Amino acid sequence: MRKLKTAYELVEAYRNGSLDPVEHAWRVIEEIGRWEGRVNAYITLEAPEAIIIQAEEARERYRRGEHRPLEGVLVAVKDNISTSFMPTTAASRMLEKYIPPFNATVVERLVRAGAIVVGKTNMDEFAMGSTSEFSAFGPVRNPWDLERVPGGSSGGSAACLAYGGCDLSLGSDTGGSIRLPAAYTATVGIKPTYGLVSRYGLIPYGNSLEQIGPMARSVKDAALLLEVIGGWDPRDSTSLRIDPPKLSNLEPLEPGEASLCVPREMVEGSEEPVAKVFWNLMGKLESEGFEVLEASLPEVSKALPAYYIIALAEAASNLARYDGGLYPREDVEAGDYWRHVAEARARGFGWEVKKRIVLGSYALSEGYRDEYYIAATKVRRLVRDAVLRLARKCIIASPAAPILPPRLGERITDPLLLYAMDVYTVVANLAGVPALAMPAGFSQGLPVGVQFMAYRLGEDLLVRLGLTVEEMTGLRGVAAGEG
Amino acid sequence: MKAKIGLEIHVQLSEAGSKLFCDCDSEYRKYPPNRNVCPVCLGLPGALPVPSKRALTLALAAAKAFNCKIPERIVFTRKHYFYPDLPKNYQITQFEKVGGAPVCLGGYVEFLNTDTWEWVRVGIRRVNLEEDPGRTYYEGDILTSRYALVDFNRSGVPLLEIVTEPDVRSPREARLLVEYILLTLEYIGATNPRLEGVFRVDANVSVEGGERVEVKNIGSTLDVEKALKYEIGRQTMIVERGGKVERETRHWDAARGVTKPLRYKEEEAEYLYFPDPDLPPVRVTEDLLAEASKTASRSPKAIFETVRKLGVKREIAWSIVSSPPAADRFLEAVRLGGDPQVLARMVGVDYKGELRERGLDPNDPSRWPPAKTLTELAKLVSTGEYTYDSIKGLVLPRLAENPGVEVKAVLPEKVSDIDSLVEEVLKREVKAVRDYLSGKKKALNYLVGAVMRAARGRALDPREARKRLMERLESMKEPQGEG
Repeated sequence: MRKLKTAYELVEAYRNGSLDPVEHAWRVIEEIGRWEGRVNAYITLEAPEAIIIQAEEARERYRRGEHRPLEGVLVAVKDNISTSFMPTTAASRMLEKYIPPFNATVVERLVRAGAIVVGKTNMDEFAMGSTSEFSAFGPVRNPWDLERVPGGSSGGSAACLAYGGCDLSLGSDTGGSIRLPAAYTATVGIKPTYGLVSRYGLIPYGNSLEQIGPMARSVKDAALLLEVIGGWDPRDSTSLRIDPPKLSNLEPLEPGEASLCVPREMVEGSEEPVAKVFWNLMGKLESEGFEVLEASLPEVSKALPAYYIIALAEAASNLARYDGGLYPREDVEAGDYWRHVAEARARGFGWEVKKRIVLGSYALSEGYRDEYYIAATKVRRLVRDAVLRLARKCIIASPAAPILPPRLGERITDPLLLYAMDVYTVVANLAGVPALAMPAGFSQGLPVGVQFMAYRLGEDLLVRLGLTVEEMTGLRGVAAGEG
Repeated sequence: MKAKIGLEIHVQLSEAGSKLFCDCDSEYRKYPPNRNVCPVCLGLPGALPVPSKRALTLALAAAKAFNCKIPERIVFTRKHYFYPDLPKNYQITQFEKVGGAPVCLGGYVEFLNTDTWEWVRVGIRRVNLEEDPGRTYYEGDILTSRYALVDFNRSGVPLLEIVTEPDVRSPREARLLVEYILLTLEYIGATNPRLEGVFRVDANVSVEGGERVEVKNIGSTLDVEKALKYEIGRQTMIVERGGKVERETRHWDAARGVTKPLRYKEEEAEYLYFPDPDLPPVRVTEDLLAEASKTASRSPKAIFETVRKLGVKREIAWSIVSSPPAADRFLEAVRLGGDPQVLARMVGVDYKGELRERGLDPNDPSRWPPAKTLTELAKLVSTGEYTYDSIKGLVLPRLAENPGVEVKAVLPEKVSDIDSLVEEVLKREVKAVRDYLSGKKKALNYLVGAVMRAARGRALDPREARKRLMERLESMKEPQGEG
């Protein structure tokens, strides 16, 4: 275990001249060289020269006092977020050579804030997975234990933070895809309120559930990044008409300002080591004077199936466009239209993606739609109402995942075990509320994450609580490897 | 044999300015292939639809014009099918089930049957606002072509689908109904019905004792009548011979003038409908409704009644109403003080005739002179300064060539020396004079014609010419009587 500079500390150091952006960029490039062969966090890496040129520009800007909020900060972007200057594959053979003709809104905002995009991170294909093993470009490994997964689907974005291969990263979270990897790698991730961050340019999986969110090695860093990418985007009809949130200069939460509650259903299924670290943290909070209440959210038991039905229905629809036409595949021979489409999809998609398309189509098809899709949307409303009711009273706390990071191959053979990893995280996506995942502690050398959920647009509350918890755990800036 | 006919009319909102969900042009015909496209209408992953306010307003105006029940919230629905020119392999449309809500939940239209001069009411089942797909071009024939060329310029153009109840009684009425609906949309400013491919009609038709047959691909109002006549004849013959009309879909072959069975079997459609998660329901606000009502305030029926109240004969009134710019000019010219009868003839009969004779489009506003020009001309007739015929024969043709020209510039010189013209003719036409004087009264008409010709394009009232001629001829008689 070691401590690395947080992005916030970097910017401070750049500003007061104690650190040179070019020197830092070289250091990160070296880390990538040292780790990447084992971890496989990136699908595409920017050429070192291109990174250095941008770092030199950043140095110039600091010199002239014209630096922007993320000037010279190295950011990794999940490979389902469109970049016009790098391929965007969503970890699928289907989009192996796809270079979008436009940037996602969040990428535009990153670049305008002076960030340097280091590369595109590895993930589960089309974000369908909880371990980052379902990638056409090979699985991602957890820097804390290379035999284990970093969680998914934003596993690459978490892993590069955990080994120092970037300063900040962007992930996307449809049902926990930011928070699981954060929990498994001792990093911080925020799944923002639905509509706070533009989805324009995010290759869709479950549109009504997902958000792009910040990942970092500290709560303040995540807040800073969210501040840059958040706020209304006229190109996304589902984005909220609000200004970017003010999050980077908040004070830690004091006892008495808010209470916490732990829904029984969101902790009782956890493995022993996870529950122990979690309750230990709750105990510390209590001893600091915070009120920690027991609560109940019985609707949670239905959340997981409802989540999967909605996500897969939307996914089946979103993935219909990949037919070998606008995204051609060289290994498919010309022929009759239907055969061409079938062959392109057979070769282009991985097994998990195909499975989810079939399940999603089934849930939407005539005769089954009422029983599955419509029923799931009703459950979703129940879950949302229950969560909103509880979130008005307290910050909802739970482990971020019920288990420690599993070993490679351990979970993916049984889909029910795999999907069950998302049991605590899907609730926030169904309800559209913000959720923060951050390190709670370690068990047997493996990170354990805690999750906090608040009411809609309660990111400020989560960030303040996160700052408090970070002071208690002392895990700000923590990274894998020897210092 | 009595038939039941229901129509599905697809009309592009060609005048909406932009496509339904992006800023590309709604009038796509002027672009080279695949040049009126962007990430949104190409359905690129991550690009998101944003509904055009103008298209929504026009669709709501149409719903108002068709006396529709309008939902509080409009919902867009995804309809899935694989087709090369459908870039997302789903169409964003509207659907009344699965939580959907089209712009019109049922209404009616009253169209004028100009054979019987009765207003006929036909139920509107619903109106959908949806995106048009692109276009596929085949080399020769769809079955033999070795490849298909796809042009996405049309992809995303706003399209209204208007579905009537099976209330239509005859092919002739079907045609008049379609013409009336197109005219209504033209008054709203939603479409230009004369653009190539701007509308298509599918017709459901059954005769007593037979199943319903769908006839697709009817591209003109004339063909609506022809296709239905053919189809009813075909079905009647089957029934009369004791056969059974099967439920099927047929294709209108305009070149051959026949309906043909589809050469491939249509499978039971499975469209996987569900509300588009990228498009939150659009709340139909008071403001939006007020704007739609304002847009829909000009209806053919209301204008027809206004024109009729001015004492204009129904045939002429309809001729005026059926060309919106003609109706606009007429009503404005009346308001400016022109005599309605004179103006009606000028606008509804003779000027329109001049345009037709030149092969010009009488529905193109730029072909019409300003109302004040028409008022001026009508006043010249009413005050007796010029005859209607001289305006018709000498002024209207020049206006049709150049509608912007000042009245002064096209007004014919008036004959001031009518007596000398009469003398000239009497001197030249010795034989006719002799005939008249010997009692052949018909010779007078010839002489009037000769005087008019002698005016050589200058304005001369033929009644005045006749009166002067008679006076002179009578005076020539008198001395003979004495002798």
